[in-house]
Amino acid sequence: MTVVFSMFLLTLLLITAIAVVHAGNLFVAVMLSGIFSLLLALNFFLLDAADVALTEAAVGAGISTVLFLGALSLTTDREKSPSPHRLLSLAIVAVTTLAVIMGTLDKPSFGDPEAPVQVHVAPWYLETTREAIQIPNVVTAVLSSFRGYDTLGEVFVVFTAGIGVLFLIGRHSGTKPQDIGPPHGEPSGLRHYLIPRLIGRMLVPFIMLFGLYVQFHGEYGPGGGFQAGAIIAASIILYALLEGEKRALQVLPRSVLVGMISGGALLYSAVGVAGMLMGGNFLDYSVLLDDPVKGQQIGIILIEAGVGITVTGVLLSIFHAFAARGRF
Amino acid sequence: MFYAVTIALLATMALALARAIMGPTVYDRVLAVNMIGTKTVLLMSVISFLFGRPDFLDLALVYALINFIGVLAVLEFFRVRAYDRSGDSEADGS
Repeated sequence: MTVVFSMFLLTLLLITAIAVVHAGNLFVAVMLSGIFSLLLALNFFLLDAADVALTEAAVGAGISTVLFLGALSLTTDREKSPSPHRLLSLAIVAVTTLAVIMGTLDKPSFGDPEAPVQVHVAPWYLETTREAIQIPNVVTAVLSSFRGYDTLGEVFVVFTAGIGVLFLIGRHSGTKPQDIGPPHGEPSGLRHYLIPRLIGRMLVPFIMLFGLYVQFHGEYGPGGGFQAGAIIAASIILYALLEGEKRALQVLPRSVLVGMISGGALLYSAVGVAGMLMGGNFLDYSVLLDDPVKGQQIGIILIEAGVGITVTGVLLSIFHAFAARGRF
Repeated sequence: MFYAVTIALLATMALALARAIMGPTVYDRVLAVNMIGTKTVLLMSVISFLFGRPDFLDLALVYALINFIGVLAVLEFFRVRAYDRSGDSEADGS
């Protein structure tokens, strides 16, 4: 039955994807991509990948929509007329699709117990997590301990992306301060709309609390630094939408955000170096404390905090970069 | 029982998706997105009981909280657009 549900959702996903490409109005495309993200997350959820679904929920459905709308407020509604190389693009897409379909023919069928993913390192992860780290969520153990290098790489990818966006659209000297922000002294944000403001202000602390719960409960349930960072960033974006971007910048100024971007990545690397200094390998948390299990757990909490800080900083910096350019 | 609810929710999502794709106005689409978001929350709750994993309800909570932010962003977007082209009629979709 789950397979039927999955197939149905995948069909809806395909229809949505085609509609996104087909939509000439960019606002419609943004709305449809929000639907795409929701459907994708449901698929992940059906496949039991709760951590991935949580990431998709926080980043795809929440923050991307806000960032897309921020980008859209800088440009026009209409898509430009398509480029003249349509036949060439069609040929490239067709060839790539054929190659991907041919690639899937060699794959083991879904749920095959003999598939390499089931027999290669997964059993070792499942057993070792129980003995060496003693946390229930194996995904967090794989992500932050066994595959610590990969996650460090991901954090630096997020870091680099944030720096790149800030270079492209962050500070720009051409515009005077009075040019940005809504005209005629109209306050930005939804400050004059009583009901959204009241409800939104009530929600901000709860969203933030939930973000902290996801951050520190990542070893026991779905969650971790990436998801928590996105949720906490979403709560501050909500505050910025309600009270105007300037008030949000007073709470978390740009300098603090830049510090968070580099500080989180630095914290992650520092935990790795600390392991080296205490006689282990880079990112080997077992040596951090006398008890190797406790050391692993402390290491995971520290690097998850680093991940969360960097992700929050990057997402908020990107939001403010868009907000400062347009009137969003 | 859970299966019946799941199928009903999936059917509702398909109908809402049809409305989101067909339009005709932008507001139809915004409402359709909102509806799919709500149905996602419900579907996740139902499926987490179907699988016997009530701890996955965390995800439904995140969706319920985050959906609200998306709607507010859309409101703010339209408010800003209204200043930019005051008097202009709304975009009517593709």
